[in-house]
Amino acid sequence: MAIPNEPGGQLASAASPVSRRDVEVRWRLSRHARRLLTLALAAMLLAVLNRRPELAGLAAPALLLLGVGGAGAGWAARQRPPRAVLVAVRPSDRRLFEGEPAWIDLAVELPGEPGGGYDARWAFHPGRGIEPASATAVTAAVARFEFTAPRWGRRQAGMAELVLHDRWHLTGGQVSVTLPALDCYPRPGVQQETVVLSRLPNRLGEHPARVPGEGAEFAGVREYVPGDRQRQINWPASTRRGRLMVNTFAAERSQDVVLLVDATTDVGQPGSSALDMGLRGAAAAARAYLSRRDRVGVITYQWGGARWLAPSLGRRQVYKIIDTMLHADATWDRGASFRRLPRAALPPGSLVVAFSPLLDQRFVEALRDMRERGFSLIVVDVLNVTPPRRWSDAWSATDRIARRIWAMDQHAIRFALRELGVPVVHWDGVAPLDLPLAPYTRRALLSHGGATPRAPRGMPDEKPSISGMQS
Amino acid sequence: MTGHLISVARPRIAAMALGVAAAAWAAAPLLGSGWPGLALAVAGCCVAAGSLRLALQDVPELEEAYFASAPERAVRAALVIVRLLSWEEIGCVALLWLEVMHPARPWHTAVLGALLVAWLLTVHIAESGTRAAGLLRRQAKIVAAGACLLALGAAGAFLPGATSGAGAALHVLAAIAVIAAAVLVLPG
Repeated sequence: MAIPNEPGGQLASAASPVSRRDVEVRWRLSRHARRLLTLALAAMLLAVLNRRPELAGLAAPALLLLGVGGAGAGWAARQRPPRAVLVAVRPSDRRLFEGEPAWIDLAVELPGEPGGGYDARWAFHPGRGIEPASATAVTAAVARFEFTAPRWGRRQAGMAELVLHDRWHLTGGQVSVTLPALDCYPRPGVQQETVVLSRLPNRLGEHPARVPGEGAEFAGVREYVPGDRQRQINWPASTRRGRLMVNTFAAERSQDVVLLVDATTDVGQPGSSALDMGLRGAAAAARAYLSRRDRVGVITYQWGGARWLAPSLGRRQVYKIIDTMLHADATWDRGASFRRLPRAALPPGSLVVAFSPLLDQRFVEALRDMRERGFSLIVVDVLNVTPPRRWSDAWSATDRIARRIWAMDQHAIRFALRELGVPVVHWDGVAPLDLPLAPYTRRALLSHGGATPRAPRGMPDEKPSISGMQS
Repeated sequence: MTGHLISVARPRIAAMALGVAAAAWAAAPLLGSGWPGLALAVAGCCVAAGSLRLALQDVPELEEAYFASAPERAVRAALVIVRLLSWEEIGCVALLWLEVMHPARPWHTAVLGALLVAWLLTVHIAESGTRAAGLLRRQAKIVAAGACLLALGAAGAFLPGATSGAGAALHVLAAIAVIAAAVLVLPG
């Protein structure tokens, strides 16, 4: 699986293993045999009842096919139909991105001679959210079915059905194989630049800090003191000043970044809804920050609780983050209590990047609370739809007023957050995230004191009521 | 892709054509309304539904109908109905019934028998995706023997006394005996 939008990126995942298993075959009379039998019996019955020998002759070909075929396949018992067959299943990958082409290879091994004297036909019944991209039936012992998953989520690939026919096609063996589950990841957006805090924790990284250190970025010159390295002496400055001067460099630090995904509300068309964009944006941000050696974690908040992953480093963390986000859904799901999130989930002094349509008042209150406790926040607004217009009220004054009130309410929420010092940027899901974040990636984002690891207000433990969702 | 579509569509079109041909052959000459009309209507419906089933064979069933729109539900119901019954079996019985309602015409009946067997074989080839050449090559001798018996049955109907009374019953018995002998003698 290649990571979309990543230059030259191939996933470090191993090739999917082949799964082999014995599957029971259910043998029964084939449809073809049943039809021939019906034709023969009906013709014979009518011949006897009407005393017309030509109708008996009409039954002859069907009876011959049934009789001779039956004798050849069963009665002579030259080969007993196998009770079970060995089926091999190999998906191209267990993890794929939205819209990425994938396939599943299927093969059946019959006992005895190659092919076993049976005709095999594979049929693919795709699962929910899986769209076939090739023929769904193949007449061969080995088959490959291509498909795509248009939307993120944990998907069952579906079922494969194998039908085995004997030489005369009078008996048919049916085999059903459940295909493996696949993790379909949201397709990440594009983000190259990162937002960096002005105050960084004392941990080695790649961001130039405001304190002097052993980094590579030039910070200034100062007078030489015993113990300084000779290679740091700035000879032109020493010549001008008449005393030894040494170069100083900025320390290089890393930061903790927590991606906060609001999954309480999902509005918009499936595929471009607020949650879709939130997850795509969060995936892009995770990649961008992890590539800068920052520690990145994620919290998804939804009805029933939050799921979190502590900030960590490394390429694997991208997939851990996306795996955590796959559980995000706009439905109720029991998760950890937001009040009791440990310090590891939301480290003090970390940068919190929230992806939200800002429609849930509780989430807005939580953001406000986090800001008041000193977290450095930046909100990416992923709301790209307006309330649907009812045809009956399209031009009514009530409808216009309601829409204006809604728009003003949304504007007020964003204004209030900005007044608190929380930048709110709008992302349409199409353009790179660098564009809306540009004003904040050019210079360091001002850090606001140390955060106390207190639970945010406004995040209730219990399942929220419907009225609580309406802001 | 186009080649694949043609190879898939060809046996389905052939099956539909053979079904229509068998229905037309059994109906000619038209006997008017009443039971013959009913038999013809049933046969026509079965041929149409069977052809539709073959044409929609690769269309997957909708798993979730709860959130489906009304047209999607209608399509789903139609798919279920089309796939529910064995239309070819009902069609065969209806066509034989229609043939019986005509006065005795042995050669006509023999041709109808050939058409029905060809129709059923083509339907099987279309729905199973089997290579027609391979299947027919394996069954060529049996089909040829069946055709001979078909001709023998038609010829037997022309013998004196074959149309009424005890002679007719004996002729039918003889035909059945010949078929049974052929089944037992021919190698599997």
